[in-house]
Amino acid sequence: MNKLFGRICEIDSNSHLSLVNVLSGNQVFTATLLEIPESAPYLKINNDVTLLFKETEVSIAKDFRGTISLSNRFPAIVNGMERGKILSCVYLQHQNNEIVSVITTASLDRLAVRNGDAVEGFIKANEIILMEGRWAE
Amino acid sequence: MIQAQVKKSLKGQQGDFVLDISINIQQGEMVAIFGPSGTGKTTFLRCLAGLEQPENGMISVFGKVWFDPIKKTNLKPQERKVGYVFQDYALFPNMTVKRNLEFALPANNNRNRVNELMELMDIVDLENRKPDTLSGGQKQKVALARALVAQPQILLLDEPFSALDNETRCNLQDEIIRLQKIFGITCVLVSHDVSEVYKLAQKVFVLDNGKIKESGEPAKVFSHGMTSGKFRFTGELLEIENLDVLFSLTVLVGNQIAKVAVMPSEAKSLKAGDRLLLVSKAFNPMVVKL
Repeated sequence: MNKLFGRICEIDSNSHLSLVNVLSGNQVFTATLLEIPESAPYLKINNDVTLLFKETEVSIAKDFRGTISLSNRFPAIVNGMERGKILSCVYLQHQNNEIVSVITTASLDRLAVRNGDAVEGFIKANEIILMEGRWAE
Repeated sequence: MIQAQVKKSLKGQQGDFVLDISINIQQGEMVAIFGPSGTGKTTFLRCLAGLEQPENGMISVFGKVWFDPIKKTNLKPQERKVGYVFQDYALFPNMTVKRNLEFALPANNNRNRVNELMELMDIVDLENRKPDTLSGGQKQKVALARALVAQPQILLLDEPFSALDNETRCNLQDEIIRLQKIFGITCVLVSHDVSEVYKLAQKVFVLDNGKIKESGEPAKVFSHGMTSGKFRFTGELLEIENLDVLFSLTVLVGNQIAKVAVMPSEAKSLKAGDRLLLVSKAFNPMVVKL
């Protein structure tokens, strides 16, 4: 699972759902949660949290144009790859963090991903879990 | 309310330590004392039951003091209204099931209680059998019935199902839930099984080296801070297989088999038999009406 450490910078909620923005480095990540500050006291501006998301939920685009509904879009450099028959692993350097993406090998070939390429990573807001505090191994 | 403050020096495998805990339990509540072996869980139960004496502390049960060294009060085990279920059943081998139950009946009590309980727990067919002819699950059911015969105020369950196979364990956990609803009895469960605590207890006290490290609702305590993951289950890891750049985990959740894909770095630290917490978001599962 990918883990990014950050700080809550914005919260928007209705009676059950919250949209939480977390600043990690100088990138804002957005998570939709089925909890609200009243029932989950850790949802507070400036609180430290860890963003958790699966590698298989990170998409990659190259030379991407146009708009997209995905909330989380971040620039990264390809820092390594591991090729499997069906699925492949792409290691992305994003600021000081490594974010891992697992995509199909067919997509890896279609995008002609190479080490050192500048790409964009995408994560859906509802795929991100927030954890209180900093993840301890 | 039950108030229990227990302080006692213990010898552990890693050296001596002091069991020093203070907990309050509401009437009708099922609480769990959770933690690895040798942290004082069983000693705490034995102190409640009067089988061991704390060096210091106080135990009061629904307004009646059971133990208070200042007032020199220390009720004998038979004066405390406690039902105790042990991991190894502790049935009398030379007595039939029915005699085992009758033996636990206080002298002036109505003998119908035994028949009622046997019927309620569906063990009437076993009444003339001796314990060594019963399966592990049947033995523990009888032990549970016996613990309830004297209408205890507290039911103490010491790792009651850890020697049983998964299906039997699940059935007996359901039985405990059912009995607790019927009798509204206050229960203290000692367990090192996260899924058991999750299923049975309303509140858990995590014991570490004789001290309470954490307490609260099991869902909260065992969420590892991942409360925003609303789809949360505990399970037992059965198998790890290599899938391309990922690994597949086969996990037994309740009596259902689940498969989870994880990264090699995650699979590396796991082995068959490990207890796992599976977390996903409320948005992920698709739902089909059965």
